[in-house]
Amino acid sequence: MIDQETYKQFKIVGKVLTDHRYNTSHSGNISMRAGGKILIKRRGAMLGFLEPEDIIETDLYQADSGIMLSSTETDVHRQIYLNTDAMAVIHAHNPFCVILSLIEDEITCLDAEGIYMYRKIPIIEVDNPAGPTDAAREVPKVLKNYPIAVVRAHGVFAKGNTLYDALQNVTGAEQSAMFRYYTMLTGKPLKRDYSEEKHFSEW
Amino acid sequence: MPYGMNSKVLKINLSSEKIVEEDIDEEILENYLGGRGLGIKLFTDSVPKNIDPLSGENVLIFSIGPLTGSVAPTSGRFSLVTKSPLTNTIFHSNSGGFWGPFFKKCGYDCLNITGKLSSDNEGYLLIDGYDKIEIKDAKNLWGLKTSDALTEIQKIEGKNCQILCIGPAGENLVRISSIMNQANRAFGRGGVGAVMGSKNLKAIVVKSGNKEFEVKNKEHLKKLRINAIDKIKVVPITSQGLALFGTAALVKVINQFGMFPVKNFQAAYTESNKIDLVSGEALREKYLEGNEGCYNCIIRCGRMTNTGEKKGKGPEYESLWALGPSTGIFDLKTITHANYLCNDYGLDTISTGSTIACGMELSQCGLLNESSLKFGNNEVLCDLIEKIALKQEIGSDLAEGSLRLSKKYNGESYAMQVKGMEIPAYDPRGAFGHALNYAVSSRGACHLTGFLVALEVLGAPKKIDRFSVRGKSDLLYLKQNQSAVEDSLVVCKFVGYALGFEFQARFLSIILDKKISITDLITIGERIFTLERLFNIREGFSSKKDSLPKRFLENPLQEGASKNRVVPLKDLLQEYYKVRNWNENGIPTDELLERLSLKRLD
Repeated sequence: MIDQETYKQFKIVGKVLTDHRYNTSHSGNISMRAGGKILIKRRGAMLGFLEPEDIIETDLYQADSGIMLSSTETDVHRQIYLNTDAMAVIHAHNPFCVILSLIEDEITCLDAEGIYMYRKIPIIEVDNPAGPTDAAREVPKVLKNYPIAVVRAHGVFAKGNTLYDALQNVTGAEQSAMFRYYTMLTGKPLKRDYSEEKHFSEW
Repeated sequence: MPYGMNSKVLKINLSSEKIVEEDIDEEILENYLGGRGLGIKLFTDSVPKNIDPLSGENVLIFSIGPLTGSVAPTSGRFSLVTKSPLTNTIFHSNSGGFWGPFFKKCGYDCLNITGKLSSDNEGYLLIDGYDKIEIKDAKNLWGLKTSDALTEIQKIEGKNCQILCIGPAGENLVRISSIMNQANRAFGRGGVGAVMGSKNLKAIVVKSGNKEFEVKNKEHLKKLRINAIDKIKVVPITSQGLALFGTAALVKVINQFGMFPVKNFQAAYTESNKIDLVSGEALREKYLEGNEGCYNCIIRCGRMTNTGEKKGKGPEYESLWALGPSTGIFDLKTITHANYLCNDYGLDTISTGSTIACGMELSQCGLLNESSLKFGNNEVLCDLIEKIALKQEIGSDLAEGSLRLSKKYNGESYAMQVKGMEIPAYDPRGAFGHALNYAVSSRGACHLTGFLVALEVLGAPKKIDRFSVRGKSDLLYLKQNQSAVEDSLVVCKFVGYALGFEFQARFLSIILDKKISITDLITIGERIFTLERLFNIREGFSSKKDSLPKRFLENPLQEGASKNRVVPLKDLLQEYYKVRNWNENGIPTDELLERLSLKRLD
């Protein structure tokens, strides 16, 4: 069973994601590395109301019988850990990120916080956006160089040193996407396009 | 004739050696689909009250369903219905492999075997396509273990056939014997092997006929199959867990929830260093040579194993548990060899292990004086299995199953059974909905007729509180009805982890070329389940039999994640009877029977 302190982190992060309406009642998953293992949300559990037995332990390097309980996207998390510097991973269905992924090839941040944190948020195209197989192959490639990426029409995968760190990337990216979306909605030209000045295309 | 079915039953009376073919009424297929439902309907229509299950009056009904042999994933299954010599209840069982699709291609839906061959004239049945049926001499096969019998039959009939076969246990009328389906799959539970043995019938061999599976809209069916396979590939249980570790993937999972029974359910949690010895991972690492699947299955949960000394199939989760930790044994090689031996003798691994465990506890308590029956005694396990199959020494008592054994030695409370059938590998104190299913299942303690562990533990499709009471009856009602439908279509329950029940309705609608809704199917499932109940009531079963051993009601577990829990069965049952529309004595009401177009059985 998981220790109380770790459980508390999962519970808080799960609740924030649900309260922000980044997920449906049961979707989304969060995990952290822990001593050669992955601690990950249980499949079918409600992210906003996690209990200690909803945090499942599974092997970091290969599938084990924990797969019977762990999140559907466990393989994506595992590949992110094995191929990037991630210590924690969050997958959420951020609405504004998903909306922009339907019409753009990357999300260029317009707000100062977003520019400071991300500059641009890559969008990944996969054949089967709802399935973990393609995402497990493609998402780690992008997260090697970015803290967060969006799988088109699906949702974001964010990494961090801790769960809270990854949470900040999820919420920060969503806020930048929201600013961009509403700005686009006005139909008016930007007074100043920070993204152009910072050579975002090379970022 | 409806699409998907042949509408023919093949009836064989072994006493008279009369073989006839009859049409199946279309209304029966509409109301009962096929498989379990069809078998239950034909069985209850024909079998008189209180027959001896081991007499010629008992009937073995093997039947396929509308999805059997189709492109729907995991559609290789077929069903058996009979009266159990272990429980005296009506009994249904289903098995995978390839026999079902082969039989369907012969042009029949149902094989109905009654009567018995004379004891000096043992035989086997050959179905070599439509209207090519023969009862053949099996005197040279009688007494052979199943693997040897398969080899000998294949020498005669060729390798392109599928074989159901009993071993020495079935021949010796052991009440916990099974009917093996090829070398490794089985109609495992309820002592159905003894029913076949009582008929002096060693095997049923089927060669594939040439009847094609007719579907009006093949393209639509193909698209649905692709959609279904995409889903199966997404869900980790079906795409990875079962393929990599087999059903033994559950060992550590169930232990984690404090539900993995040890030493005849005296405990339900094992420390990690010990559980690792018998986990799915250990089986994979030490002995797995490859995995295999049934007809049209992409999950491929079957284990092909090699211990270095012997090769064979399995063990699966329940077998590994029953022959291992249930008897206090954690040596994987011993367990694997014991599993091979059960397959070879044609024994139900669950009931065999659990009955031995019961004997061990009787011995522990001083009620049974038998030195070999000691928990954790690796040395004697295989020897005991052989003695059970051959009914030798203490084996003749164990061969009767745990309830009869415990009664003989004045220790009935040590038999972990319901209605005479041994409880599988999930301690009911850790999942109350699952506990209720054990109590009310029509065939005795059964994990397959309403597998609430899926929701209560595996969170599939969604997690529910495993210790809550309110609403569990409703969920069980739904799951039992769904399960009756799956057993009637016939498909493997494992696809249910990936595909919603709506997929079964869609597959069936396309195959029958008729719109069938989920609600229609649930009603069919309810009809099947209720008819089973009516049969058991006629045979004298009352609500008193909807119970659990005292241990689960009074003795809380001392360790693990289900610590301090006992099953609140009374509360669960009260609600369940209401949900089922049964009266307080567990008898279906007139109103229910009218709605389901059923009549009480005379």
